[in-house]
Amino acid sequence: MAEYDADGRRLTIKLVYYGPAQSGKTTNLMRLHDLFDPTARGEMMTLETQSDRTLFFDLLPLGFTAPSGLHIKLKLFTVPGQVQHDSTRKAVLSRADGVVFVADSQRTQSVNNGEAFENLAANAARVGLEFERLPLVVQFNKRDLAGILSEEEVQKRWQGAPWPLLFATALIGKGVRETFVTLLGAVHDALDRELQLDRTHRLDRNTFITAVAGGPHGRVLPR
Amino acid sequence: MGASSLGDFDREFTLSELLGGLDRGKLESALSRLLGASARLDAADGQALFGTTVAGGERVTVRAQLEAVGALAADASPEKVAAAAALIELLCTAGMRYLMASELHKEIVNEDFDELQRRHRALQASEARYRVLAEHLEARVEAQLKTLETAQRQLYQSEKMAAVGQLAAGVAHEINNPVGFIKSNLNTALGYLKAVEVLKGSIASGDAAATAAAWRAGDLDFVLGDFRELLAESAAGAERVARIVADLKGFSRVDLAEESTADVNGIIEQVCNVAGGQITEGTELTLALSELPPIRCRPGQLGQLFLNLLLNAVRATDGSGRVTVASDRDGDQLRVRVIDNGQGIAPEAIDHIFEPFFTTQEVGEGTGLGLTVAADIARAHGGRIEVESLPGRGSTFSVLLPIRSGDRW
Repeated sequence: MAEYDADGRRLTIKLVYYGPAQSGKTTNLMRLHDLFDPTARGEMMTLETQSDRTLFFDLLPLGFTAPSGLHIKLKLFTVPGQVQHDSTRKAVLSRADGVVFVADSQRTQSVNNGEAFENLAANAARVGLEFERLPLVVQFNKRDLAGILSEEEVQKRWQGAPWPLLFATALIGKGVRETFVTLLGAVHDALDRELQLDRTHRLDRNTFITAVAGGPHGRVLPR
Repeated sequence: MGASSLGDFDREFTLSELLGGLDRGKLESALSRLLGASARLDAADGQALFGTTVAGGERVTVRAQLEAVGALAADASPEKVAAAAALIELLCTAGMRYLMASELHKEIVNEDFDELQRRHRALQASEARYRVLAEHLEARVEAQLKTLETAQRQLYQSEKMAAVGQLAAGVAHEINNPVGFIKSNLNTALGYLKAVEVLKGSIASGDAAATAAAWRAGDLDFVLGDFRELLAESAAGAERVARIVADLKGFSRVDLAEESTADVNGIIEQVCNVAGGQITEGTELTLALSELPPIRCRPGQLGQLFLNLLLNAVRATDGSGRVTVASDRDGDQLRVRVIDNGQGIAPEAIDHIFEPFFTTQEVGEGTGLGLTVAADIARAHGGRIEVESLPGRGSTFSVLLPIRSGDRW
């Protein structure tokens, strides 16, 4: 889980954007990069092949200091979606504190979505993550395309699943921040249970989210 | 290595690591020229990468992806030092990009190698399992094969027994006939002996006239002549029984299947003698045998082959017709034809007659194996059986057997 160095007063949180090939994981990160204050983020680091497919990962580092003086660094990663890069996915997923699963809304991609989600669950188990307790949000991307599953269909299919469900068009930035904020809430809850962020560092949920994603974040997020 | 190192690729790197691929002398000299002053670059722990202590001047923190990794100091304008630091940060980002990719690559390679070894061990284990299974399988196949062979032998045996059973009735008749007249002859002979005994008294008294009268009264001239004839007839009958028994013994040795050099015509004659009882009134059996070279064969098996064909032919004529067994030489093979003018074989049946258990007879009358066995025997001798048949006109079964070079003696 999160690297917490109480003496150095540093906390490093790893968040991973997972999903089938070309579902828009890198695009999510690029839009987040554009959203944030340059002083609070590092440079977007991409390692892609010639055909714009992620080869190893993308990385966007974010950072802020809590009221208690705790330095918190978030590392946002994407995994390569192509099936053959499974070892890379496994290495990137290792020690993740939260995951956004980016699904492709197109009807033709249902099988790929399903396989990628199963792959996420399998790899989480392989790297020692407790999938049931892993903060996870599911984003259905590419809402601007034709031939997509309607929101009702998606809701119906995912009925009973414990994870928050979000809709996005990452290409124009729609839903990207909401997805991220939702994940931050879930990650905060998990870390608060583990490290008492609120009590020890006066870092409640909203403060944490505002510090990372900027405010106002507006709505109250589902717990 | 293994899972424990997985995910280490994004650890924090030191300034020295981030600039690891660069020539520091050249970097220092380039910076000095840009700044117009000598520069000093310190790592986060205060250790200098290059340069000497700079008195006064500017000192700017160098960050790589938000982390302070070091500081640049130079006696130059704040703008220049900040610009130089930004340049170093760019170099650090490039270095980090390379380091993370290469470390991740290393982790993946190690992980994949571990995985390969795991799979290799698993494969070895499964190979060992399959080897055991394969050995076991071989034994099982062998056992199965043995069972099949036994079953086949039993089938052939039962076919032979069926053929022999059909023969039994005929043979009984064939033997009963001579035995019958031998018995009757012997009874008559006993009566003749009594007639001769009558003379005993008159011969003993020495009365020649009385003896002659008694001789005439007993018609002993006829008795003596008939007695001789009787005995000769009985001896011939006994000879016939002996021959039938001897021929039967030929069939009883089918299983031994000893290979020997034999005259095929002799085998045919033997078969006709044995089957004689089956070829009853109405069926006319003709032998048309040409001179043949003796061949190496299993005479018992060939006998069974010819018997099967002969009995089929007789059955096809339904007790009134002609059956001809002909033999001749056709180049380097012997040909034995069993020709009947019986009912023939239906066209839809002719392709199946050599198949096991195919029979046109009533249930219980035929085993459906007669022609199967015949064809197998022909094949075992390197030969074959050909069939021509016209429904209503009759059939010809031709057995073709090769004359091999080993048959010259």
